[in-house]
Amino acid sequence: MSIVASVFGQEISVSGKVTDAADGTPLPGVNIVEKGTTNGTITDTDGNYSITVGSNATLVFSFVGYLRQEVAVGNQTTINVSLEFDVQALEEVVTIGYGTTRKEDATGSVIAISSEDFNRGAITSPQELIAGKIAGVQITNAGGAPGAGSTIRIRGGSSLSASNDPLIVIDGVPVDNDGISGMRNPLNTIHPNDIETFTVLKDASATAIFGSRASNGVIIITTKKGRANRPLTVNYDGNVSIGTRTGEVDVLSADEYRSLIQEQFATNQNATDLLGSENTNWQKEIYQTAISHDHNLSLSGSVENLSFVESLPFRVSLGYSDQKGILKTSGLDRFTGAINLNPSFLDNHLRINLSAKGMYIKNQFANQGAVGSAVAFDPTQPIFDASSPYGGFFTWTQPNGDPITIATSNPVALLELRDDKSTVKRSIGNIQFDYKFHFLPELKAKLNLGYDISESDGDIFVPENAAWLYNALVGGGEKRLYTQNKKNELLDFYFNYVKDLGSFDSRIDATAGYSWQHFWRKGTSYSTNVAETIVNADTDYETESYLVSFFGRLNYVFKDRYMLTFTLRQDGSSRFSEDNRWGLFPSVALAWDIADEPLLGISELFNSLKLRLGYGITGQQNISDNDYPYLARYTYSEDNAQYQFGSGFVTTLRPEGYDANIKWEETTTYNIGLDYGLLNNRFSGAVDLYYRETDDLINFIPVPAGTNLTNQILTNVGDLVNKGIEFTINAKAISKADMVWEIGFNATYNENEITKLTATDDPEYLGVFTGGISGGVGNNIQIHSVGFPANSFYVYKQVYDEDGNPIEGLYVDTNGDDQLTVDDRYRYKKAAPDVYLGFSSLFQYQNWDFSFAGRVNLGNYVYNNVYSNNGTYSGLYNSVGYLNNVTTSLLDSKFSNPKYWSDYYMENGSFLRLDNLTLGYNLDNIINGVSNIRLYGTVQNVLLITKYQGLDPEVSSGIDNNIYPRPRTFLFGVSVEF
Amino acid sequence: MKAKNLKIYIITVFAAILAFTSCTKDLDTVPLDKDVVTSASVYDSPASYRQVLAKLYAGLAVSGQEGPHGNNDLSGLDEGFGQYLRAHWYAQEIPTDEAIIAWNDGNLRDFHEQDWSSSNEFITNLYYRIFYQISLCNEFIRESSETKLNERGISGANKTEIQTYRAEARFLRALSYWHALDMFGNVPFVTEDDIVGSFFPEQINKADLFDYIESELLAIEDLLMAPMVNEYARADQGAVWMVLAKLYLNAEVYINTAKYTECITYCKKVTSAGYELESTFENLFLADNHNAKGIIFPVAFDGIHTRTWGGTTFIIHAAVGGTMDPAEFGINGGWGGIRTTKTLVSKFLNVDNLKSASLNLKTVADYPLLYVPGGHQGWDPSNTNTVLASVNSDGNYEGYLYFADADNQFKYTDGPTWDVNYGDTGADGTLEQNGDNIVAGDAGYYKLNVDLNGLTHSFLKTEWGVIGSATPDGWDSDQDMTYDVDNDVWTIIVELSAGEIKFRANDGWDLNYGDTGADGILEAGGDNIAIADPGKYEIKLKLGAPDYTYTIEQFSSDGRIMFHTDGQSLEIAEVFEFTEGYAVTKFKNVTSGGVIGSDLTFPDTDFPVFRLADAYLMYAEAVLRGGTGGDAATALSYVNALKERAYGDQNGNITAGELTLDFILDERARELLWEGHRRTDLVRYGRFSNTDYLWAWKGGVAEGRSVDSKYDLYPIPASDIGANIKLVQNPGY
Repeated sequence: MSIVASVFGQEISVSGKVTDAADGTPLPGVNIVEKGTTNGTITDTDGNYSITVGSNATLVFSFVGYLRQEVAVGNQTTINVSLEFDVQALEEVVTIGYGTTRKEDATGSVIAISSEDFNRGAITSPQELIAGKIAGVQITNAGGAPGAGSTIRIRGGSSLSASNDPLIVIDGVPVDNDGISGMRNPLNTIHPNDIETFTVLKDASATAIFGSRASNGVIIITTKKGRANRPLTVNYDGNVSIGTRTGEVDVLSADEYRSLIQEQFATNQNATDLLGSENTNWQKEIYQTAISHDHNLSLSGSVENLSFVESLPFRVSLGYSDQKGILKTSGLDRFTGAINLNPSFLDNHLRINLSAKGMYIKNQFANQGAVGSAVAFDPTQPIFDASSPYGGFFTWTQPNGDPITIATSNPVALLELRDDKSTVKRSIGNIQFDYKFHFLPELKAKLNLGYDISESDGDIFVPENAAWLYNALVGGGEKRLYTQNKKNELLDFYFNYVKDLGSFDSRIDATAGYSWQHFWRKGTSYSTNVAETIVNADTDYETESYLVSFFGRLNYVFKDRYMLTFTLRQDGSSRFSEDNRWGLFPSVALAWDIADEPLLGISELFNSLKLRLGYGITGQQNISDNDYPYLARYTYSEDNAQYQFGSGFVTTLRPEGYDANIKWEETTTYNIGLDYGLLNNRFSGAVDLYYRETDDLINFIPVPAGTNLTNQILTNVGDLVNKGIEFTINAKAISKADMVWEIGFNATYNENEITKLTATDDPEYLGVFTGGISGGVGNNIQIHSVGFPANSFYVYKQVYDEDGNPIEGLYVDTNGDDQLTVDDRYRYKKAAPDVYLGFSSLFQYQNWDFSFAGRVNLGNYVYNNVYSNNGTYSGLYNSVGYLNNVTTSLLDSKFSNPKYWSDYYMENGSFLRLDNLTLGYNLDNIINGVSNIRLYGTVQNVLLITKYQGLDPEVSSGIDNNIYPRPRTFLFGVSVEF
Repeated sequence: MKAKNLKIYIITVFAAILAFTSCTKDLDTVPLDKDVVTSASVYDSPASYRQVLAKLYAGLAVSGQEGPHGNNDLSGLDEGFGQYLRAHWYAQEIPTDEAIIAWNDGNLRDFHEQDWSSSNEFITNLYYRIFYQISLCNEFIRESSETKLNERGISGANKTEIQTYRAEARFLRALSYWHALDMFGNVPFVTEDDIVGSFFPEQINKADLFDYIESELLAIEDLLMAPMVNEYARADQGAVWMVLAKLYLNAEVYINTAKYTECITYCKKVTSAGYELESTFENLFLADNHNAKGIIFPVAFDGIHTRTWGGTTFIIHAAVGGTMDPAEFGINGGWGGIRTTKTLVSKFLNVDNLKSASLNLKTVADYPLLYVPGGHQGWDPSNTNTVLASVNSDGNYEGYLYFADADNQFKYTDGPTWDVNYGDTGADGTLEQNGDNIVAGDAGYYKLNVDLNGLTHSFLKTEWGVIGSATPDGWDSDQDMTYDVDNDVWTIIVELSAGEIKFRANDGWDLNYGDTGADGILEAGGDNIAIADPGKYEIKLKLGAPDYTYTIEQFSSDGRIMFHTDGQSLEIAEVFEFTEGYAVTKFKNVTSGGVIGSDLTFPDTDFPVFRLADAYLMYAEAVLRGGTGGDAATALSYVNALKERAYGDQNGNITAGELTLDFILDERARELLWEGHRRTDLVRYGRFSNTDYLWAWKGGVAEGRSVDSKYDLYPIPASDIGANIKLVQNPGY
């Protein structure tokens, strides 16, 4: 069935068959258009078509993944065409929000990294696959715990209190990246081997179609799928890895410590009597060499010629990881499964894409308190003490034999006497119906129904004899059970209309639709002592929010060189009151393909040269812990926070603080970019300049005392600017048949400044304190202030004596009022780097390949909280009756008391990290039926070059406080393809 | 035809979109959590009013909706430090002679150094707690107005009840505003007439705030229940009168106008209301102090139901450290934080006459040990409390043990196991490995000697006394001491004159101890111990395993002396050493019957905010300061009532001539130590800042120094100065 368009002059009926040039199989669904008109048709299941065209017509045959072909009709009535497979086609189509676009038609800053360009040897965390690969994208993992998550920042954070995480969309389902109880990394749902591409949308013209959640960029993850007409392929990937520790915090050895205590407390026998006679390196005792292995098996192919289904491509994969952490007792077992089915029906007019990913993970969490305890615990004490009733571990005790409740806990006991497990199940999936109208094949209707469900069960057990939870009266220890359920549902429905307007030398691609999402979560936590006689916590919550959106996009391409994209999205969020609920997010972008401009005649030199200009507004409403910030609510107390009236206890009802007028945060982005490819694409890349201004920041600030039902509230106050430059170059240094060398480099400069913070513009207003540190209670080291980057450090300027040693407690009188007050603190540096660079290299020679990738951060400053909190004489001894070790920094600072706010502890954290290094070898066709075997070895976290004195300067918050150390991992792997 | 098709599309699209548009009503969500209700519906139920009222009271006791922490009321502030009562206690006690704290958290030391700034987080905690409490009260007062109750159809008994609640909410607000006035002076002013939102409240001056608090309290006086009629822990008229009395007593500080007459008026209302003094002083501070008399308004805590890291959890844990036995305080462990200064101790005792108390009394010295398992201690060879020691490490061991039972059996073991043990087969004084049990004979306090070289042993039952020129019978006969089983010390309270003493056993000189070198360690036959001043003393002799030690303290029979001195020095050389400065044993999580509270971490002990004794002392002070309506005789009788309770007899009573303002201030320190009044009292007496009244480490120096008068008020926190353009900082900050 086809539509016959208006006909002018003579008409000729043309028919024929379209086949694949490679194997002659018929190609269904090929677009056939009479050039310069709106007249067209498509091929049926057998590749046949017929069309009536005018005389002197030219037919244009096009099909995704194949090269376009034009045939002049002349007098022919039968035209058979075989289309050539376009090897570059897969790269040329990029996934964008609600659809795809041809790369050459893209107007926004969109970077796609496909599987062959991924970092190699990334074993569990999908984020690691692209770390350092993309300018403007900074990925910092949370530490070395198995399956640890990562902080992803695209072009600096645009928010202060709302989330700065990008929106992550997996196969069309925006997923929950807010964290799932009992799971370290929400992206662990997918096995890295199942990922086909990462597409990062950076500027507003690309992201605005996602409206209110797009301010921090969008990452679209596409998983691998089966393809039609492909033979069954089986892939196996497996590896074994060994994780080792790279260093330790410098603390005093037992002997150094003994002499220090004897010297410091020469007149205080109470202190010296506490010294033990052992030499224990506590840091050594809590770590181990971690051996892990990971397996992934996938089958892909296509079932053909079924009765109702034209073709059923499929891919199924199963994965298993057993990872151990270098901190004893930490590890995880992970099972992943993914299935993709992409059948086509009704003469290929209806395509269905069914996708489901599931994960089952068993975590064993180590008590990370041991990391800090191992730094502080007295090295002269033994690990074990046969007479200790506390699990046989040495414990600081009171004269009556009970543990000192406030003393440092034995680090090994912390690990061994706490069993902290969780199991998490999660599934993300969707079914997409893609219907191409029979009467108007340019028009497609798409329905996408998706879900993201997770279920966590956690279980913590600490025995009664654990010193830190000892309770002689009612019985100590801990039994804690917690659960969390999350359910996010999605419905997208939209129309897509693509039309070549040959007569105008134009192409339009229009999309309009509707999206509905529901986010729901529920959790419980129940904790008692081991005897279950005392309930320490019995809490639960349930909350939800909805997001309802209307969106549209128009792409217009003129002469294949001039491109315009316009998008508009209207989002309604249940998190805001009816008056503020709806937000409108427009964007517009223009692009000019300069290389194809005939006037300039540079197409010889440049394969591509495209100038992009973009403008757009995006929003932010992700306030993860509060779905009702505008609503006046009351909350009941738990049973242990009741109040006594008479002889009974009354559950209390607390009015909550709220801002009835809270609304969207809005980010306006301007982007100018240039994509280039020259000398036969030997060099390619992009340069982008951006300016992003966030208004009505959702900010957590102090309210004037007495005005609200709390002291700090989430409200829209303040503006923030990010501006920067990104540069990417990929070079094919050598490109021969048996030798290839590819080099990639990217650089980003970002500058962040708060331009407004209060409603009052009071120049005296210091700002909002942030950046909590260890040491004391409730102390902050950072501040958000107008005119400075967010999270600037706020410290005193240390004064040094002539030998360069810091003078304790003496700081520069920065405000010149001749006295030293808190107002002498100054804003000094920030945690975010000024510049970050990524580099990678891939060298292939015959069957060998060698690659490496690394990153450089420049100008990121780190507050060494390990030193500031563990480096004072006063910390050595507590008169309740215990000792603490100190970091060797004390030998330099000689501080008696903690000087948390001295800039003495600020260090330049610039670093170069070689993330991974891989050597691989491919064995081709050596065994019958096995098409490829690849063997490889990888070292991860190979090298860290920095002047930072602590363990690792890569801390996204800028506050180094006993992170789980990143291991150096040696990995041996094999990939087999059948 | 094309147009027609287009129409079909458009209709289809419209139909589709319309179908989905109805989903926009999904955006009208209400909380799902059963613990959350919206304010639109919460007040429909009369029971909710009681629960919101409970929150207003709980605002003084807990830090959030989960105990001891979790779901905090405030943000950015630590829940433990930020708890109302604890923040208040810090501000009222640590900057005074009553307390010093060994912790170095953040800017905590600013308190005793009296050099805080507007960025001090603990002051910020207190300030926001006060204003949080005020805004919560405002919310309740707003929502429980006559009009609103009528709108919601609440009537009859429910309505009457809720109106009482409302008056209590106004009381709690007045209490917090009084705290604000007392500690911060000119503060932002918000009432139920303001809406919840974000605006800039006006700053009220002290005089206007004084008037407001006074008018509120007077307005609700008759709306509240009569004294001792309301449910326990809820405010009544007595509480209102106490705040009024406080307000008037300090009126000269607040508004430069004396209001002592008014103070007397309201003290009299309290004293004539039927309150009685609790006969046993210490019962006021124990786990069952809800039963104690004379507490007018408490903040209630409970080990199971009302848990916090502030309140009495803090006061009791932080006060325990050194050699103190946490079990005696009903807790699982001390936090080794707060002690008191010598200046405060001197209110009770002549500190010049304290002897040796600063020495560390060790339970086990660093000598080779011989263990003495036996029936007296459950046959446990690893018990280090029942050991002998070899002072010269020469195989000769000695020490003292108490055998409660006659014919107690025991053995010696050369280590904390039975591996090498000695008995005395045949009871011939010769030891045999694995020999028979040794039998002591009578119950009593024995000196044991063992010679492992010659494998011989001997034991001697002892009774101890003090003798010497300072004792009533001179060198002729000794004064018998008594053995205190619980503390394993011999004690005596005795009147001494200037002179010398020694300790001797069994009324003879065969076994006697003196203190050669006056180092606090006793030597057999050592030098006489000098007593400089005459007076009544309490002497303690601690034997056990060597070294043997003793303490001599001037004795007062003031039962309010609750110091732990064992192992504590009187002087404070190092602020951050808990054992420097006497510990205070006033608050305990143990009932008057000696039973430990319901939890070892979270005490059941309530905090007495206002007590009858305070009213007595305020009355006396107001009379002395010239207020009318009272009389000196009644004032004296009130003070002596407290004295008699403290001494148990009339020995501590004072005469009319002794009743001076200085006496009152000292008596307040004795009676109300650590009850959160001291800063206010010292400011009223002009002895807080800009004064020669000093104590250890005041102003950050060991001997104490005077500080600027600006410190009489705390600064308004920098964060609120920043958030509210209408605020002017207190002078000097």
